[in-house]
Amino acid sequence: MADAKEHLDKLLQELRRGTITIGVLSQLSEAQYGYSLVTMLSEKGIPVEPGTLYPLLRRLEKQGLLDSQWDTNEARPRKYYLLSKTGKEVFDLLVVEWKSIVSSLNHVIENEGDEKNGDH
Amino acid sequence: METIDRYIYAVTQKLPQAQRKDIADELRGLIEDMLEERVGIANIKESDVEDVLLELDSPNELAEKYRGTKKYLIGPELFDSYILVLKIVLIVVSAGIGIGFLIQTILDPISILDYFIDMIVSLVTSLPMAFGWTTFSFAIGERSGEVKRKDLIGQEWKPSDLPPIPDEKRQIKRGESIAGIIFYAIFIAFLAFSSDYFGIWVFQDEFTGVVPFLNEQTYGSYLMFIILLFGFGILKECLKLVSGKWTYKLAIVTIIVNAVSMAAIVFIINGPDFWNPEFMNELAEAGVVTVGSEAFDIVNKVWDQLTFWIIILLVIGLVWDAVDGFIKARKK
Repeated sequence: MADAKEHLDKLLQELRRGTITIGVLSQLSEAQYGYSLVTMLSEKGIPVEPGTLYPLLRRLEKQGLLDSQWDTNEARPRKYYLLSKTGKEVFDLLVVEWKSIVSSLNHVIENEGDEKNGDH
Repeated sequence: METIDRYIYAVTQKLPQAQRKDIADELRGLIEDMLEERVGIANIKESDVEDVLLELDSPNELAEKYRGTKKYLIGPELFDSYILVLKIVLIVVSAGIGIGFLIQTILDPISILDYFIDMIVSLVTSLPMAFGWTTFSFAIGERSGEVKRKDLIGQEWKPSDLPPIPDEKRQIKRGESIAGIIFYAIFIAFLAFSSDYFGIWVFQDEFTGVVPFLNEQTYGSYLMFIILLFGFGILKECLKLVSGKWTYKLAIVTIIVNAVSMAAIVFIINGPDFWNPEFMNELAEAGVVTVGSEAFDIVNKVWDQLTFWIIILLVIGLVWDAVDGFIKARKK
């Protein structure tokens, strides 16, 4: 079973890497700084390492999906990220795609179960 | 908090200058936020800082994630050819040295131990060198190739753009190139490690010695040139191997390499005392020919004309090689 667990960990890691972007974009209709996002996402059941999130935020910013602004009024200067106009559009499209993937996969997984039940 | 500074420095120094300040500020904010969440603002101990830093990735990993690209010397596109050429080069170098050892041992079995040690030393010095140069050449190719690949990205791809399968006449047979490389390498090994045996072998009942073709006094200074010359040949065959078919580019490279080789050959052979000046006398001494006999005159004539004919033959060979490349490249 230890073997299966190892495979599972690897596959989960890949799966998470792909979906984390959706999670991040979903939380940024209001400006957030990096660590507040880490906390927020983990509270909602999407754990993400700061070492993964921070480079991801910069990459999304570079791609033009996020805008950023330094807030130097607080005790600690923080960089806030917010969805850009393109980012919003992309996120909306992404959600539609995601839902269709989820429903297709659900369909596939459940049908697989039905067939097995039918065979035996 | 010196440890924090050191961590941030370790990460940012691996990043492009323009991004350093921004990332450093953001990282500092992150680390302070994490510390605050764990132990509050006051009473932060060094061990708390270390715990937080350990929770983050190592500076190397984090910097790599920020860069977003893997750094490599030889990328996946060139890797297959790289491994192929590397294998050939290493096998050929080992074989060349091994053959050198065999020849030496057959001719002089008593010194086998010396030759064996020589062989080991040669292997230990030559193999890493061969490995290094091959890798270096491919790394250069990778760097210069990057520009081209970037240009290609973003262009629409049409099935009609697919290159035609080359005519069999344009294809370069792998075996030929590999044979060529092996031939060059063996020649290099032979000349470099046992030049004394490049000559007429004299057998009288048993092997009694060699009358060398080359002038042993000046030979050393020519050796570099000769190795370079064959090295060029190997380079040419490697290019053919990687290309797989005749193209104009390959034909032009062949012409350049051949022209350089030709110049080097003419330079070497015309240089002072390249050939053994005592060749005829030594031949007579060894008892192969007798001075004054008809055979002696013939051999003498051949020996005198040798330089001229070798140049002619080499020039014809190299010119033909280049022209052949062009003819094959033209075939559709």
